[in-house]
This record gives sequence, C-alpha cells and structure tokens, in this order.
Amino acid sequence: MRAGAPRSSCLTGWPRGILGKKGGTVRLRGVRRYHWARDVDEALSLLSAYQGKGALLAGGVDLARSPRTDIEGLIDINGLGLSYIRSENGGLRVGATTILAEILGHPVAFEYAGGVLGETLRQVAYPAIRNMATLGGAVVSAHPWADIPTLLVALGASVRWQGEKEKEERAELVDLYAGEFRKIFRKAVLLEVVLPPCDGAFAFEKIGRNAWDIALLNVCAGLGLREGRISWARVAVGARPARGERLLWLEEALIGERLEEALWRKVEEEVKARIEVEDDRRASGEWRRQVAGVLVRRALTRAAGKAGA
Amino acid sequence: MKIYFELNGKPQYVEVEPGESLLSLLRRLGMKSVKEGCGTGECGACTVLIEGKPVRSCITFAPKVQGKRVTTLEGLGTLDDPHPLQKAFVEAGAVQCGFCTPGMILTAYALLEQNPDPTPYEVREQLVGNLCRCTGYRKIVDAVLLAAEWKKEGKWR
Repeated sequence: MRAGAPRSSCLTGWPRGILGKKGGTVRLRGVRRYHWARDVDEALSLLSAYQGKGALLAGGVDLARSPRTDIEGLIDINGLGLSYIRSENGGLRVGATTILAEILGHPVAFEYAGGVLGETLRQVAYPAIRNMATLGGAVVSAHPWADIPTLLVALGASVRWQGEKEKEERAELVDLYAGEFRKIFRKAVLLEVVLPPCDGAFAFEKIGRNAWDIALLNVCAGLGLREGRISWARVAVGARPARGERLLWLEEALIGERLEEALWRKVEEEVKARIEVEDDRRASGEWRRQVAGVLVRRALTRAAGKAGA
Repeated sequence: MKIYFELNGKPQYVEVEPGESLLSLLRRLGMKSVKEGCGTGECGACTVLIEGKPVRSCITFAPKVQGKRVTTLEGLGTLDDPHPLQKAFVEAGAVQCGFCTPGMILTAYALLEQNPDPTPYEVREQLVGNLCRCTGYRKIVDAVLLAAEWKKEGKWR
C-alpha cells in the first residue's frame, strides 16, 4: 500500500467518497418499483419494459451499493429456481442465484478439483456477505479485483443464459469476458455456471491487505499428472489490476514437464518476466510482478501436491 | 408497497418503499439494536439474521425479506431476561461502547447454532467482518467461547 493512497471500500473498490451520504434507502435513489419475477420470461419482459432502467436483483450486494441513480425498477430473481448445486459426470452445475455460503457448505462442491471452490470462497469477503452474494452475481459483476472470475476462468467454466424468450445460450466464460459480456447481461438472465469434470487439482492463492479484503493479486492454478509429468495445466492471474486471465504461454510450456524444483524456479522467473501488470492506487505494477511469480509458483506446487505428486 | 414477514417470531404486514433498506425498516419498527455504521455492508453493526443466517441489513432491500423470518437482538433477549450469549458478553467484559455488540452477538449466535464447539480460530473466522473499535476483539472471542461452554452445559435457549 503506497503512502497517501486514497482509502477505498473493501467490498466495492470504489473510493469512499463515491458512495455518498448514508440514509434510509440503499444507494439506488431512483427505485420506484420492486417486482418478484415468477419465471425467466417474466424477468426478461420486465427488464425489457424498463428500457435500461431496470436491474435484476439476486444477492444485491453490488446493486445496493451501486452509485447509479437511473434504476427505477428492481426485479427480484430469487424465486426462479436458480439456487442449486448439481453434480454431473464429475463436473458441477451451479444455479446463478446460489449463494456462496451454500457452495461452501456443499460436500461435493467443497471437494471439486482438489477443494479449490472451498479454498477460494473462504477468502471471499466474510460470512455475512457470503450469505448474500451469489455465484451468478460474481460472474456478471466481474470486478477486476474479484477472486471468483479468476477461479472460474482457470477452471474452464462455461455459463448458460437466456436473453430472449425460450432461447438459451451458452459460452465459455473466458470467451464471454473477452467480448461484450456487460452488454449481453443488461438484457439477459444468467441461468447457471457449468464447471467441467476435473482429473487433476487446483489451488488458489491471494494477497490482500487483511484476511477479508479484496485481492491485490490473486492466482488460481491447476494441473493434471500422468506418469510423473504434467499432462495439462491452467493458470489464471487476476487483480493485475485487470480481471483474471489465463497465461496460455505458461500452460503450454508446462505440458510434459517433470515436477522438479528447477521447474518451479523457472516458472517463477518466467512469470515475473512476462506477466502483464500495471499500477493502481492499491499496489504498484512492480510489486505485482514480483508477487505474481511467487503466487503462481505456490499455487502450482500446491496443486501438484493435491494431484498426487 | 406492502410486504409480509416474520420479525422475532411475530408476523408483520408493513408498508415499505421499494428502495428502502432492511436496516431502515427494522429501525422504523423499533428495532434500535440494528445500527447503521458504514452503510456499505463492511462494518457489521447492522447485522441481522434472515432465516437464521447473518446478513447485512444496510445493503439488503427491505422487500427482499418478503415471506422470510428475520431475527434481531430484540428477538434473542431483553434487559430483564438476557440471552445466555448476552450474559456471556457482560461476563467476559466484551462490551465497551456497545455499538458493534448486537451484530457481534447475532453473528456469534448463528455460529453456535451451526457449530456448538468452535475453536478460537473458528470464532475469529466467523466474526471477521464485524468491526469493533474499542475492545481489541480478545474479550469478544472469550465471550463466544464462554457462551459455547454454557451451551454445552445446557445453559441455553
């Protein structure tokens, strides 16, 4: 943390001044109507009727603190039956309105991919927020400093959504984030997050200013092993300060390598040399560069340990 | 608009503004244990239980509790008949200015409902989002561990 940097909200990342004066209403001053949508089609119709001045509400953690003043209608989507966790062929399907605490408490989800969901979600905010925040909300908000996008991108998650009546769409999250996903979700309901089967293990590493702060840098890495060599690898680094992205060059370079101390040293040095990081008011790019190398190395070695190395 | 919910075991059918916070609604209903600290969900002073789970009432839209069960500190105990957890906070000297105490107690109550025998680490992990500017936290953790002992001995309700 640099001296003289402005204080910011731990949860929103916005400077405190933006949040404005406290009061009896949450921050959306213009809200006139509140709707409990009964199905996805009704939610879409309402969203369309508000012509950009309506917002879908699930957990509401971000929405309630949004500085937007133009939202007139809130559309509660908690009654759409999108709160579930289903195990499917070694993968998982998680409904968009499933709260983070439910995922943490779910035995199958907790064990998935070497326990990386539990490992990560325990570091996201604190219990009361995890009782409110939803997985879908984290995907759609996609804050650059957030842990969940980094996790899901590394895991190779895809998402299903509905933007028009009876027309579902699906895409890899990494592709969605590379495009105009915010434009899509202004007019669509996210239905579920699909996590593919995993025959290896993942680990998550993060550094924040304290145990529940947002990340100054986060890393999710995973690998599979065959005959003592790496058969596949995934590495995503987030809060660079840009959103979590995979290091494809590193993932390719790791395939076929033996798990040796020399490899981890080389990984650390290569990441420090090639990672794309920048300064922001929380940390310098140079600090992030040094930390990225260490965290990627730590995450990969821990993932290798979980995968049976 | 009108909503229906259960507050501390009693049915409520009340008028709310669509953008009103649950914090504001509860204080209007006389639940003055619910405090507004940061107003952004970070300090924990406004913590209440919805369906037994701690949440931040300052960033919860009031209509969201439609049909739900809400518990505030007033639902746990009174001045004349405090809940054992409240007694434990007094016994351990865990209260100074008291502003954070309702949120601390409700968060601790939810923990002890799920995990009646927590370790000091688990207590700290549960209370990590509840800020106290007076006590330094040690006595708060002591109070929760004391309450857990009392719960094991059957001194609970």
